[in-house]
Amino acid sequence: MLGAALNIKLLEMCSKCGACYSICPSCVNLPGYDPREVIQDIVAGDWEKWLLSKSIWQCLECHYCLEMCYQHYGFENAMTAMRAVATKRGIFPVQVKRGWEMFAKTGKLGEPAMPARKKMNLPAPAASGGEELKKIYALLKEKRRGQG
Amino acid sequence: MKDFAVFWGCTIQARFPFLEKSTRMVLDAFKLPHRDVDGFTCCPEKSLVNNVDHAAFVLTAARNVALVDGMGLDIVSPCTGCVSNLATVKGELKANPVERTAVNGLLKAAGKEFKGNAKLTHLVPFFHDSVGVFAIKQRIKKDFSGMRLAVHYGCHMMRPSHALRNDDPLDPKKFDNLLAALGAVSLQHPTKLQCCGQGLDRVDQHDNALHMARVKLKELKSLGADGLVLCCPSCFLQFDNNQFLMEKEGEKFGIPIIYFTELLGLALGYTAEELGMNSHRVDVEPFLEKWKRSPLVAGSGTIDEALNAVVAF
Ligand code: SF4
Ligand code: SF4
Repeated sequence: MLGAALNIKLLEMCSKCGACYSICPSCVNLPGYDPREVIQDIVAGDWEKWLLSKSIWQCLECHYCLEMCYQHYGFENAMTAMRAVATKRGIFPVQVKRGWEMFAKTGKLGEPAMPARKKMNLPAPAASGGEELKKIYALLKEKRRGQG
Repeated sequence: MKDFAVFWGCTIQARFPFLEKSTRMVLDAFKLPHRDVDGFTCCPEKSLVNNVDHAAFVLTAARNVALVDGMGLDIVSPCTGCVSNLATVKGELKANPVERTAVNGLLKAAGKEFKGNAKLTHLVPFFHDSVGVFAIKQRIKKDFSGMRLAVHYGCHMMRPSHALRNDDPLDPKKFDNLLAALGAVSLQHPTKLQCCGQGLDRVDQHDNALHMARVKLKELKSLGADGLVLCCPSCFLQFDNNQFLMEKEGEKFGIPIIYFTELLGLALGYTAEELGMNSHRVDVEPFLEKWKRSPLVAGSGTIDEALNAVVAF
């Protein structure tokens, strides 16, 4: 599952490099956050233990490592892949779950604040495409089911 | 200039309508051909949607781009996340014909097709490149000479660079240039390009989010910054709202947070109240007070240009 989403060859190089540790905002500011450890475990095939860890949610997706990386790969790819596996197994931070549910229901993460708009003389907000999105998302799910 | 749709995104409209207000004011002041378009959804937000279902992330962004593709419009957004997410998917689909065909197969049911023709630009590089520093300077009624302001780009203004291609991803210049055009000193500070850390609030790690905000605010306080200028609702939430929460607990930083559109709007002669700055949670008065006391320096176009400039109000 994880192998399909990741280029293990690049991660092997990455586990020997570690260069972007010193510019990663979470590595610098959050004690205990160290993607190098996660990547070593991915390369060794021993990554399951990370699924429940807070660490995989501490990657801010800031893309700094991606930009710095001589392989243009980055810690980030490993962390993103770990999160994708975690959510497939139903492991979510509460807010991610709530956000996802709101998105799936409305196609948005919040509705325009109407009373404040009125007070500020803002025009009526444009119509949402939420309903249409829901329809094509349903088609996507149908297609997936068809593919088993 | 090609007409463009403003992509407001969820956060500004749901939580910070005053940022919509100031954005509209500066777009109108420069008579820029903007419009609202029916049918957009969430961009979608990456950490929430992509982590759960990558295909849904791609489909949603592709549909938003297809909507403006069909109308022959570009997109400009005052949210860095929106532009970055839309551009990431646009880049992915342009590079992957198989995926693009699959996505278009689904979009067809809604009468749409992703072509990827629409240009997607964040408001800051847009003002820098399409309006231009010179046109801005001509219109300034009072600039920010003598003010020490820190600029916070926000990661997604220029990253990922392969998708956005609008500035140096590790040493961007455009926001600084705009600040310089407005007469301010752009303070160089160690955390200038460091992620704001707001993402941590979205994954149940509020204390870590506060910690990241604190690191930056402390630094700015020690440098004597008069304010922090940014142009991303997520960064705004992090430094305005979270700073306020820390102040309530007795940690005082006193760093006013100024949206780029507010700074520009003030320079053009709008009042802080008109721009909705009284809706901020951290007091902006110290910034406004200092600015009021500073000497009047107007825009710096040549006399001919100043005479020929279009005056909007
Ligand atoms: S994307 Fe994640 S791992 Fe990479 S530098 Fe940013 S926080 Fe660190
Ligand atoms: S992501 Fe790239 S730069 Fe960072 S440690 Fe891995 S190989 Fe090195």
